[in-house]
Amino acid sequence: MFGKFDKNALMLFTGALTFFLIGGLMTTVLPWITEKSWGNPVAGLKEYSDQELRGRAIYIREGCWYCHTQQVRTLESDVKRYGWRGVDAPISLPGEFTRDKPHLFGTRRIGPDLARVGGKYDKSWHRTHFNNPRDLVPGSVMPPFPWIVTSNGGKDLDDLVAYVQSLGRGRDWRPNHDYEQ
Amino acid sequence: MTSEVKRAAVSERGPGEPTAMGFIISSIVFFVITALVGILAALKFVWPEYLGSMSFLTFGRMRPLHVNGILFGWLLAADMGLVYYVVPRLCGNRLWSEKLGLITLGLFDAVVLAAVFTTLGGWTQGLEYAELPLPLDLGVTVAWVLFGVNIFATIATRKHQQMYVSLWYIMGAIVWTAFVYITGNFATELFSGVNQANLNWFYVHNAVGLIFTPIGLALAYYFIPKAAQAPLYSHRLSMAGFWTIAFIYVWTGAHHMLHGPISQWLQTVAILCSVMLIIPVWTVITNFYGTVKGRWNRVNSDPILKYLIAGTTFYLLTCFQGPMHSLRTVNAIVSKTDWIVGHAHMAVLGAFSFFAIAGMLFAVPLMVRRPLYSAKLAQQSFWLMFTGGLIYFVSLWIGGFIQGLQWNNPTIPFIDTVIAMRPYWIARAFSGVIIFAGVVLFFYNIIQTIKGGVKPVAAEPRTA
Repeated sequence: MFGKFDKNALMLFTGALTFFLIGGLMTTVLPWITEKSWGNPVAGLKEYSDQELRGRAIYIREGCWYCHTQQVRTLESDVKRYGWRGVDAPISLPGEFTRDKPHLFGTRRIGPDLARVGGKYDKSWHRTHFNNPRDLVPGSVMPPFPWIVTSNGGKDLDDLVAYVQSLGRGRDWRPNHDYEQ
Repeated sequence: MTSEVKRAAVSERGPGEPTAMGFIISSIVFFVITALVGILAALKFVWPEYLGSMSFLTFGRMRPLHVNGILFGWLLAADMGLVYYVVPRLCGNRLWSEKLGLITLGLFDAVVLAAVFTTLGGWTQGLEYAELPLPLDLGVTVAWVLFGVNIFATIATRKHQQMYVSLWYIMGAIVWTAFVYITGNFATELFSGVNQANLNWFYVHNAVGLIFTPIGLALAYYFIPKAAQAPLYSHRLSMAGFWTIAFIYVWTGAHHMLHGPISQWLQTVAILCSVMLIIPVWTVITNFYGTVKGRWNRVNSDPILKYLIAGTTFYLLTCFQGPMHSLRTVNAIVSKTDWIVGHAHMAVLGAFSFFAIAGMLFAVPLMVRRPLYSAKLAQQSFWLMFTGGLIYFVSLWIGGFIQGLQWNNPTIPFIDTVIAMRPYWIARAFSGVIIFAGVVLFFYNIIQTIKGGVKPVAAEPRTA
């Protein structure tokens, strides 16, 4: 049946492109049309502030997303592990990420997931941790980022911490709004 | 070394195939550089503060430099160089335009060089495999279109009507890559959140599946029969393999987000198609092994055939792992662990880099019309890369699988699962040094073949 294709380059080109486009359109364009939940923000999701966006830019620039995912998956181990003080972390919903550009779901957990890290640790913890993670977490392999702590008179640190504290806060999942500042 | 005699011999030769040669030389230079960057990144897992006092040497910059450098600077350039070599031979003519080819080479290398600096400086789009800033993406796209025009024009003016399977894969790769690359680097800029992630995984998966796989297979389909001096086992199987890969591969992107915040039906579609990929892979493998059947004694003596058969075997293994990872239960253990890093290295190093290396060891001597500088060196570089590669893959599979099991027990603190990885990370860094030694020997062998030797040999006939 396909014998003709190996003599006629134009037919082969058209056939290969058609086969590709069937799967390509079904998995990229179709969901964009049908999956409304991907584009609708969850109730209570605020736009990032300018400060949080500056912090997010630092997070991207330093490649934090290569080692930290941002997704609590539909697995009990994720829900339990990334909860806090006995409260389970809610599973990540598509609507929590509509403002994320670029998305930072990530593929690799060299460090822990950060989807619900907002409010778990206070700012002085983050300052010490960014300066040298091993001061707080012996055995950590995270690089030290002393220049974030000191540059711009501490403004970079403020921005980055503001972003980190916003993570997972699109939903108010801690009882009694129990979040560190 | 009588280098003056050799240089005189070089200058006496005609222009040859400067585009193919230029891409090959450029690719092996980046192979050495970015493999070294890989070692630096691996050492940071063992000594987190090593070379960490300057922002441009941190892991967040070294990792994208290694990944993009290997994928684009080495492998894509190597594949392009070998395509420029293979296509005219299969068509019975010459490359349509060497001039256009050299312009493509200049543009491509300018982009790759610029990318080294943008990556070290932290100028990134923040999307995996698509880190390069938009102006550089534009450069890659233009280079790819010029490459496609040149190759398609060569095929359109071919002397043999029948197109060998390698030509199908090359044409497929050129047209698919155009769509895949534009989706991953430009279309993603229009979306955010899960919509963007879906396009990103479409790109990441198909960069491997529809760029490196088809070109790698095209090269293997060409060089395995050549090196084994045997006809292809089955033309019919190669047709089945090509059309199933063309249809199935593209559906699988969402398997990168299994259990994640993406619709269940899309996850299920991705799983089904991932499992079905076993069909094209096994047709290809049967064809490759079948071609060498009865000639296994040659594998013992010929480093080129060694690379090709090892590459075929790693391709089989990596494409068996892939469908298995996509099963929800297996994915719940191995996803996000170093297992996947071992898997990715088996695909890119073990399979597709081995095919490209074999192609160069075969093609470069014919292009410069003198034998390979040292077959012994090629054997040694093979054994270093093969052994180092195996240590790399296996240590990360074991470590990653154990870490995945530990993650599934939420009572184990995360940091304990990091500390448990240390022996495997030490083994990985060690294996990186072995692989790098093999890469350097390969580089030296090719460069010496191009530069040295005064003994001309008869050129391969230009027809396939």
